[in-house]
Amino acid sequence: LPAGLSQWFPALEVLDVSGTGLAELGAELLALPHLHTLLAKNNRLGGPGSLPKGLGQAPLGRSLRVLNLSGNRFAEVPPALLGLRALQSLSLGGNRLHGIPPDIQELRSLEFLYLGGNFITSIPPELANLPSLSYLVLCDNKIQSIPPQLAQLHSLRSLSLHNNLLTYLPREILNLVHLEELSLRGNPLVVRFVRDLTYNPPSLQELAGRTIKTRNVPYAPSDLPENLVRYLSLASNCPNPKCGGVYFDSCVRQIKFVDFCGKYRLPLMHYLCSPECSSPCSSASQSSTSQSESDSEDEASVAARRMQKVLLG
Amino acid sequence: MEQPVQTEVWKPQNLEELVRILHRIFAEDKVSVEEVQELMESYESNPEEWLQYAKFDQYRYTRNLVDNGNGKFNLMILCWGEGHGSSIHDHTDSHCFMKILQGNLKETLFQWPEKKGNGEMTKKSERVLRDNQCAYINDSIGLHRVENISHTETAVSLHLYSPPFDSCNTFDQRTGHKHKVKMTFYSEFGERTVCVSMRERAP
Repeated sequence: LPAGLSQWFPALEVLDVSGTGLAELGAELLALPHLHTLLAKNNRLGGPGSLPKGLGQAPLGRSLRVLNLSGNRFAEVPPALLGLRALQSLSLGGNRLHGIPPDIQELRSLEFLYLGGNFITSIPPELANLPSLSYLVLCDNKIQSIPPQLAQLHSLRSLSLHNNLLTYLPREILNLVHLEELSLRGNPLVVRFVRDLTYNPPSLQELAGRTIKTRNVPYAPSDLPENLVRYLSLASNCPNPKCGGVYFDSCVRQIKFVDFCGKYRLPLMHYLCSPECSSPCSSASQSSTSQSESDSEDEASVAARRMQKVLLG
Repeated sequence: MEQPVQTEVWKPQNLEELVRILHRIFAEDKVSVEEVQELMESYESNPEEWLQYAKFDQYRYTRNLVDNGNGKFNLMILCWGEGHGSSIHDHTDSHCFMKILQGNLKETLFQWPEKKGNGEMTKKSERVLRDNQCAYINDSIGLHRVENISHTETAVSLHLYSPPFDSCNTFDQRTGHKHKVKMTFYSEFGERTVCVSMRERAP
């Protein structure tokens, strides 16, 4: 790009240099204070220095709202762009990304994130810290699991996950109340009940800790070594609302199928305090297994009705 | 050697003329599928002629009504953002023509699931349709899914359905279960329609 760009066109708002074979976007862009949309698709960007240094601090860094770098050769999200605090829309579709940096959470204004068609294998939970994210595209990657924290993306309206390597979803996905579109096709989602074989039985220390917590055995810091006092404070409540149990390090992963009115079954991963916790704990009630199954489906039924419309589309 | 008989098709010079010719064809009692397909294919896409109908939505593909064919057919333009795709759907006993105006669309054909099917649906074939190509499908041929598989380019397609229909079935690829949906237009004759209900979506 010509060095005099910002002097000749100081009022430039939209610049499209797609399909021009550019291998780098240079410093000549930095002084464009009104440029809000930069389209640089289908170029040869991706090497070091593809984006100008100091991007986040430059006038351009404060004005840029839309950045499209799809169809290039980026093997990682270029760190230079993580300083774009005003960026609302970012596309890195069709590149060579193998992962998403946790610092993606720096893009505080991001609403639209397109990462389809890469080689991404996992999603950092920090992605969930983007407060305004409404459209997230992760299709055509190699993702094996979705972190449950993603359910914290309260503004999410559309989530594209098709053509990945997902076998189940976290149950928290039902919490995405504004979700209108969810694509899951082309994933090896389990359709039959899978017994988790990797349950590591709790240690004696954990069993003792659980008993202290669930029986409310009183203790004071003077009664125990400091490390055990700290350990006891780390108890997590069993996510099963019908179970009053706690766990420390050892929990069961169990896949439950949530049935959307008989039309669509989603395998959702539940973390429970023990294998017995799939139904209300025997100490808590005398419900039979089938009763408890329908109880726990009741709990999901409100969310299920909402998700049904999303899923069947 | 005998020359194969060619159906002569008037090549429309623009979209308006295509619509006029379609009206004439559909005014007859009998309509030839081949004739319509060739006609649609022969129209050379010119964005200036259809840009007013091409309204994109950020989250999913849109259906934009162009002409309602005096009740005999619906002609509409579909706009597909990067990665946007449809569910697997049928065509409610109607003829469906789909022509690419811009970009590319992948069409995957599926067999109808068994009556009490509870298994993965069977793919019959797939292909990528290119600029100006026109595909045809009806329920006896099978079901299909249409997707813009590009992560960098949008796609625009011109669809003709005859007779017009406003509901169809979508199918879950993993189980073959079907679900009836009502179809709505994102815009009609170039005007954005007010969103009445976000409930049921077009396939």
